[in-house]
Amino acid sequence: MRYLLLSFCLFFLACGSFPKKQHFKIENTSKTSIHNPYFSNKTIDYIYKANIDVYKKSFSGILIIKKIDNQHHRIVFTTEMGNKLFDFSFIKGEFNVNFIIDEMNKSILINILKKDFKVLITEQLKINDTYTLDKTNVFESEIDKKKHFFFIANNQLNKIIRIRNGKEKVVFLFTQINDTIANNIQILHYNIKLNIKLKSI
Amino acid sequence: MRNITVYLFLFLVSVAHAQTSMSSTEAHALKTKVKERAAITKTISSDFIQYKHLDFLNNDIETSGKLIFKTPDLVKWEYMKPFKYSVLFKDDKLYINDEGKKSDINIGSNRLFKQLNTLIINSVKGDMFNAAEFSIEYFKKDNYSLVYFSPKDKKFSKYIKAFHITFNSEGDVIEVKMIESSEDYTKIVFSNKFLNKPLEDALFTP
Repeated sequence: MRYLLLSFCLFFLACGSFPKKQHFKIENTSKTSIHNPYFSNKTIDYIYKANIDVYKKSFSGILIIKKIDNQHHRIVFTTEMGNKLFDFSFIKGEFNVNFIIDEMNKSILINILKKDFKVLITEQLKINDTYTLDKTNVFESEIDKKKHFFFIANNQLNKIIRIRNGKEKVVFLFTQINDTIANNIQILHYNIKLNIKLKSI
Repeated sequence: MRNITVYLFLFLVSVAHAQTSMSSTEAHALKTKVKERAAITKTISSDFIQYKHLDFLNNDIETSGKLIFKTPDLVKWEYMKPFKYSVLFKDDKLYINDEGKKSDINIGSNRLFKQLNTLIINSVKGDMFNAAEFSIEYFKKDNYSLVYFSPKDKKFSKYIKAFHITFNSEGDVIEVKMIESSEDYTKIVFSNKFLNKPLEDALFTP
């Protein structure tokens, strides 16, 4: 009987919400939205040396992200020698594949890249809940109806986590932050073997 | 009146710098000169600056490094700025060294890669005068010759619409521009180019 109770407790703990499991403390704030500044300046060409590892395949090259207008971003990946591997655009929430090489033209991969890039370029996010974890403010928001937690410490956004069923699905890490430029970005997937590393050049 | 003078001046400037088509005799002479030069070229070493132009960017993306070539088919592009990256074409393989991380791709089985490799070697030497593969147009501009090579293979032209190669008066390649179907392009400008300087085989390691 004691074991049964214990297993029930463990079961409920395991099913607990992500903030609970992470020991976030709920916080009351008047803030209603947060701002992701990293790809929000129209005058900047955001250029990164990029490595995309998908299962056993590895693509390296240069990733270019450009805010062309409000609600209009272009994302192009080329080899170091200049050949285009893919060319995507987001216009008013609509996603377009302008070009992609046959080797990468797989709907599963395109869908994942689309979701990941959407997180990188979404600037204004409505806050659903606010928490704290040590000196970090954690804001819960939604992108495409998926729960995302935004970690802000010292006024800098340093992590975004996408959650599914209370578990981390994708983690975005921003390091070597210089004002509004994140010089290092890592996108780590926990459910599939896909990792993206970006280094500003 | 002043406006007319300005327009006339601008018109004259543009005429002075415009490229004009070559006569067939001039084109033939250039072709012969480049082919002769390519035939005696055993090695090439050169610095290069690569400009990636995408129409929506404020500035072209600039990368630079060194190119070495040795007959019959060893080519190494070594990027040094703003990152270290090298690609070596050797024995039907592509060896990549990405900031110390090494990998290779077998290009023997990949027709497109093989074609690209041959094109790279030929474009570095300038000898792409293959009428079966390209439609070719000849122009002159100042002291330079400019040749447009447009691939006839539809599958290939999906990636590259045209190669524009600029030769100096000696028939040496000084610039290669690869234009995509979207009109975006990659331009490679060569400098400090040396022909037939001895190059050890050991330099052609990944």
